[in-house]
Amino acid sequence: MKKILCTILAGAMAASLLTGCGGSSSSSSNSGGSGDAAATTAAAGAGDSAAPAAGEQVINIGLNTDLTSLDPHNHNDTASAYATRHIYSNLVRLNENNEFVGDLADSWEYADDVTVNFTLKEGVKFHDGSVLTAEDVKYSLETQKDSPKVGHLVSMIDSVEVTDDTHFTIHLNTPSNALISSLNHSGCAILSKAHVEKLLAEGKKIEDEPMGTGPYKFDSWTPGASFSLVKNPDYFNPERAAQNDKLVFKVIPEDSARTIALENGELDMMISVPTTDAGRIRDNSNLALDEYVSTHVEYFCANHTKAPFDDVRVRQAMNYAINKNDIVIASINNEGKPFDNYIGEAAIGYYDTVTKYEYNPEKAKELLAEAGYADGFTFTCYVANSTTRSTSATVIQANLADLGITMNIEQMEASTFYEKTGNGEHDACLAGWVANAEPDNTYRPLFTSERAGAGGNRSFYKNPEVDALVDDAAVNRDKAAVQKDYETILKTISDDAVWVPLYSPTGMIARQADLQGVVPSPIQMHDFYSIHY
Amino acid sequence: MHKYVIKRLIMLIPVIIGVSFLVFFIMSLAPGDTARTILGEDAPIEAVEALNEELGLNDPVLIRYARYMGGLVRGDLGTSYKSGRPVFSEVMSRFPDTLKLAFWGMVFAVVLSIPIGIISATRQYSLIDSVSMVLALLGVATPNFWLGLMLIIGFSLHLRWFPSGGSEGWKALVLPVITLGTGCMANITRTTRSSMLEVIRQDYIRTAKAKGVSSRSVIYKHALKNALIPVVTVIGLQFGSLLGGAVLTETVFSWPGVGTYLVNSIKAKDTPAVLGCVIIFCICFSIVNLCVDILYAYIDPRIKSKYK
Amino acid sequence: MGNKKAKKRSMAAEIIQRLVRNKMAMLGLFILVLLALGAIFADVIADYDTKVVAQNIANRLQGPSAEHWFGTDEFGRDIFARMLHGSRVSLVVGLISVSVSLIIGGTLGAFAGFYGGKVDNVIMRIMDIFLAVPSILLAITIVAALGTNLVNVMLAIGISGVPNFARIVRAAVMSVKDQEFVESSRAIGASSVTIIFREIIPNCMAPIIVQATLSVAGAILSTASLSFIGLGVQPPDPEWGAMLSSGRNFLRDAVHLTLFPGLAIVITILALNLLGDGLRDALDPRLKQ
Repeated sequence: MKKILCTILAGAMAASLLTGCGGSSSSSSNSGGSGDAAATTAAAGAGDSAAPAAGEQVINIGLNTDLTSLDPHNHNDTASAYATRHIYSNLVRLNENNEFVGDLADSWEYADDVTVNFTLKEGVKFHDGSVLTAEDVKYSLETQKDSPKVGHLVSMIDSVEVTDDTHFTIHLNTPSNALISSLNHSGCAILSKAHVEKLLAEGKKIEDEPMGTGPYKFDSWTPGASFSLVKNPDYFNPERAAQNDKLVFKVIPEDSARTIALENGELDMMISVPTTDAGRIRDNSNLALDEYVSTHVEYFCANHTKAPFDDVRVRQAMNYAINKNDIVIASINNEGKPFDNYIGEAAIGYYDTVTKYEYNPEKAKELLAEAGYADGFTFTCYVANSTTRSTSATVIQANLADLGITMNIEQMEASTFYEKTGNGEHDACLAGWVANAEPDNTYRPLFTSERAGAGGNRSFYKNPEVDALVDDAAVNRDKAAVQKDYETILKTISDDAVWVPLYSPTGMIARQADLQGVVPSPIQMHDFYSIHY
Repeated sequence: MHKYVIKRLIMLIPVIIGVSFLVFFIMSLAPGDTARTILGEDAPIEAVEALNEELGLNDPVLIRYARYMGGLVRGDLGTSYKSGRPVFSEVMSRFPDTLKLAFWGMVFAVVLSIPIGIISATRQYSLIDSVSMVLALLGVATPNFWLGLMLIIGFSLHLRWFPSGGSEGWKALVLPVITLGTGCMANITRTTRSSMLEVIRQDYIRTAKAKGVSSRSVIYKHALKNALIPVVTVIGLQFGSLLGGAVLTETVFSWPGVGTYLVNSIKAKDTPAVLGCVIIFCICFSIVNLCVDILYAYIDPRIKSKYK
Repeated sequence: MGNKKAKKRSMAAEIIQRLVRNKMAMLGLFILVLLALGAIFADVIADYDTKVVAQNIANRLQGPSAEHWFGTDEFGRDIFARMLHGSRVSLVVGLISVSVSLIIGGTLGAFAGFYGGKVDNVIMRIMDIFLAVPSILLAITIVAALGTNLVNVMLAIGISGVPNFARIVRAAVMSVKDQEFVESSRAIGASSVTIIFREIIPNCMAPIIVQATLSVAGAILSTASLSFIGLGVQPPDPEWGAMLSSGRNFLRDAVHLTLFPGLAIVITILALNLLGDGLRDALDPRLKQ
């Protein structure tokens, strides 16, 4: 009996103690098991793995969420993109002036509306030393089409035709203005065909040994805690080569904890700065706060298929009734501005042509009376579980109560929110949108009939005129015409009071004051290669 | 004894089946568009439907459960909807951190509570007794997430002694361990005290004292061993609430353990991940209880005979 | 029969006497009565519409003052008024969820203990399944599944408390079921249900009362925990855990947002524990000496 007791207890103790003393020394523990991870580290070359040598610049970056996958085809989220955008390269990239320039691609030209000829840069090497060819591009884009997560980005690509090692042609199945912007998306990263095929043959996955042409090599990932990348000394573009030796991304979901880590010097830099701490960081002479205009819009969205929101006057009344200033103060501590537009100011496709509604409860009352709701009404607003949105909802609730309107708030998990609002069960909801580099990815899901409901258009707004304009803007190669399309759309939807745009939060990155080279991206696709002390 | 252990382990099987059934059906009651949550708002409907189909979410609940159990029987905890990776490795990569927290939380609790309980009992109604009992009561009454926040304000924000989050190094362990262990400590202190009091009052202790055995040796040789039996039970039971409490403690301290993973998985409606966590918690809990029962036999030979 | 009743009454008097002599238990009771009074007269002390939900953004995050005893929250609402009204939620959730556990768990436990054998086995194995999942996890899963509102919170906490009551009632029933008075009512032909509810349960109330008192504390804590991770009451209704949770963002600028609701939870639970312990001592015949 004693023997069994000892065995069981000793086992339990040993397990606990091992982990207890080991700390987080386990540098790599991805899903493939430590064996695979070790192989990756080894492949990364001797000298730049494990413990940082003296004089090495290691940049610790605080994030609020962990990455989900190191496979570009298997994720569509910002945190994962921080890793994959630095491990892999794309054919094109977006520069500081919101223009698309070649990254792996040297140049491209449209032969006609559905045929685009590309030339690759010469001599670009993968981390394993092999040279990038057009075959790798073909393989990456064509396998991407099968991905449920990012396949839709390249749905317009019919096929990729390889001419020689550095020349290829993309054939489209329909004219599209979104091709080039999509190629900039982290999902369109270029993989090494030989490497991926080898992994798959061994029964492994792409994410087990991520390997690309980017300025960094994968180093380690401890799920839920951190992931790190090390400098790729053989990166093909000297102008964009890493100016630090290692990036360590630390996952600290708790807001105050993240700020404290920055103040204590545990972090060199912090993404997603808590709005409550922005003032404190500004006041701290050791720290600096980089602010930028984002493409993020928060909005209140009524369901147009339900009374009374089927009446444009009621929707306009909502626009007059809601005090956006109070929301900005209560929800984001004034780190942003009240907003009237439907797409973020820094976004491609933003034009200032919307009809603006100033806060005016009297006007709102008149409109409600005109619509036959002088005594108000009752409705339920769905809010996905988020502190800022439930705060906004609480302010709106109080604003509307002044007009005799009872708004019940129902908070729910994001998955439930998507399901219920997708089915149109909501009277109204609060949501937010961060536009990416392609305006069609904003206008189409949010405002077209085809995407009503689960497709993203949670107002169920249906206007054939807007549909036609969105379709035209997506394919028209005349830039002036596209601009006109978007300007008209913005005017129309604001007249129809499709939403109540609430505010646009200021983008913020906090850092140690002497850290240099931070270049924020309005679409939150920050580059970290240029950061250094 | 062998037989008993094996029997107990076999009894785990119906419990796991029951638990998985329970959790699976509760999860399936919830409305939620899993594929949409994974793909994000800008994904087109076709992509969402394709993913739902790929994950088998369009099938009826019973079929999905049968498929899950089919895997579970072969020891396969399934694949996380969200990450597409095997749940077992996802949970196991986080489990050591949670176990570390729970283990040291328990060590903290036991090391402090048993001596305090004994001192309180031997000096019943003294100042030490009153103070420690009030503290124990406060320990029970304090929500651990609130205690965690207060510790962060005091020791992390103001004194800067310990980090407020993360799991790197022993310093990061201090505040979460205190947070997690306090409730436990309070319960064990109270049990130790009352159990000691009961034993001290019993005849054989009085006899020993009357015989002139020194009071110190009476307490440590005779009373303690008998008083420990209910304490051991409480420790076993507390371990379960410790694992549960880890969920909140981990949230407060950004501890990358199973607790935060579980909460995120519940929110994302990642049923296989939720089930995986719960099943592993369940096994862990049962094994601890088994250890407790075996310890019983070790402490009290009278119980040992029952197992035969 | 009359003699038995008189005996019961004197026993009850004795228990109450013992309880009254216990200073700590009386302190707990006093706090609870105070809280209950606060909850009952909350509307008189602070009007719901003007004090609890009406916002004044210009006046947000003010520290404690003569006008706002506990300061104001991120909407400029009076924290004292909100805590006062929040006590209603906590007490109601505590009482109802424990009633749910008590009714379901008690019935199951009583049947298991009374019939024994297969019935006992089936019921208690099902309870084992529930017990195998830490109760807070069970509650989180249920609320996340059924939707976030107060009714579901009470249901979830109630259900997660069922196995505890089933166990306690079962043990209590087993300890009294073979005693004389049960035998005698069986002899006069009373049905099993009658025997369980008329004879057995009233005779094993002591551990049930103690457990119920302590469970109310547990339920209040669980409600606060659920609210803390965003699965509790809906705004603008005040609830202590939800107040704590939203105050968490202002830990460094405005500690009073988390301090006061936290203290309220601590004090309430402390009071319930004091009373529960006092009841246990008063009801436990072994401590009579």
